[in-house]
Amino acid sequence: MSISPLRAAMVPVTRQMRAYFAPVNRVTEMPTIFDPGVCGAFPLDSPPAPWLDLGWVENFARWYGTPTDVVRSGARAMPAAQFRGPQEAGVSFDFRQWGKLQMALAGGSEHMNVLAPAAGSSTPEPSGGMPAPGVAVLAGSTANELVFGAGVANAFPDGCLIAVDLDYQQQTGYVGAGIAAAYVSSPLAVKQDPNYVRRVTFNVGRVAQVTETTVLLEQPLPAGAPAAGASAQVIVAFVDREGGSFFQEWSALFVAEEESGGRVCFYYPRLSPNSGAIGKASREGLAVIEKTLSAMSLRASFLAMPYSDPNDGQSVLCYRSYFPAAMAAVY
Amino acid sequence: MQFAKDSFFLALQSRLAGLNPARTITMNGATVPAIVVVENLPPSSAEQAANAFYIEWGATSVVDGHSGSGALMSMECVISYYTFGTVASRVDRGRVLGQLDDELLAICQPPSTEKRDYAQAPSADLGTRVFWSQPRFSENAKSGVENQAERHADGRVERKAGITVFFFSEVTLS
Repeated sequence: MSISPLRAAMVPVTRQMRAYFAPVNRVTEMPTIFDPGVCGAFPLDSPPAPWLDLGWVENFARWYGTPTDVVRSGARAMPAAQFRGPQEAGVSFDFRQWGKLQMALAGGSEHMNVLAPAAGSSTPEPSGGMPAPGVAVLAGSTANELVFGAGVANAFPDGCLIAVDLDYQQQTGYVGAGIAAAYVSSPLAVKQDPNYVRRVTFNVGRVAQVTETTVLLEQPLPAGAPAAGASAQVIVAFVDREGGSFFQEWSALFVAEEESGGRVCFYYPRLSPNSGAIGKASREGLAVIEKTLSAMSLRASFLAMPYSDPNDGQSVLCYRSYFPAAMAAVY
Repeated sequence: MQFAKDSFFLALQSRLAGLNPARTITMNGATVPAIVVVENLPPSSAEQAANAFYIEWGATSVVDGHSGSGALMSMECVISYYTFGTVASRVDRGRVLGQLDDELLAICQPPSTEKRDYAQAPSADLGTRVFWSQPRFSENAKSGVENQAERHADGRVERKAGITVFFFSEVTLS
């Protein structure tokens, strides 16, 4: 029997790369685990929770800088053994779609929600001034439907963006529901602003429909059902900044869409945005549609952080998994 | 090669049947989804029917750098269709053509399918997949079409969409 068809099935053919991100618990440095055995073959449009689908990416490039050096011995300095030097790896790509998470990941530091200003607010701030007060989210709210009570339409019109999180309570440390959005070293650093957490939170959504007492969201809140005591405020824009001291950290999964052959996944337990060494780099790309017309993309670059594999205790920066196609030869 | 043609056609046919069950034509007394392969029809077949997709196969070649065991091959394909619209005045023919465009785009997604041997029953999985480019709605040089939607004297509007279909050859090339 010829094995030609089996060998052709060993050629992974892909059209594009899909990116999924999930939070890292910054206090414990525990990543979101991608277990290929449990959820590796998921449909690309419906990733397993808590992975967030950030769409197709372009110019995907993985790199590593882990040198392998040689121990030599004898009069002729023959190779006797090898060892690996300092481990380093990373990945870069362009987000073709813009959104809160895409922009934040490409920026890499605190990512601000510009909250709708209070009536008569007169002190301009580049990342948003005095906002309109938050509206308390009531019990019974879920990740998809927020309960506010009568008159909700006055506060949240159809189609608006909202940030949902707790008031800043003068604590220090990581803030933001579900996903660490910033690190507060001192209440004074954030002007003891009760709105600060909602200025940076990733727990955002778009209002799809307003009922008498609730709002329905287009997509579920990334952090799930709001915590007791959370409030919501309207967002008018997103802002990232060149600067800032905070480094985000995410678990990332990239899947090569399989047109033929098997599926290839790249799992980074911990990725931290990193624009590289000193030098000039572009923050955005322009994909020319036709002359004078271009689509803007967000350039993103990350450094892989180590994770200790529980199976053998090895420090790992990235996992590459391969799901052979049905009928593909094994070798 | 025939396996790839059959797999592509049957994938689009079944998708069209699911997408728009009303999009049918009658052939030899049988009602079937309105997508046919021209080379599978008798040479003496009547003029193509309106509101139906006609697949014509073109040039085939080995993709550069992919020869050897299970060479990757490409095959050009043109899918043509036309409409007079649905009303006597034919003023909705542009809208109907747009609907046909949308249906073609939809049945081409996802742009791959299993390559199967339909010469036997039940069909057999051949282990690889057939995959293709997105449709290119453009003029067709053979017919001298100058616009994407050609206008005929009888008022019809028609479209031709080019697709490149890729598959792994069953023949091992040396």
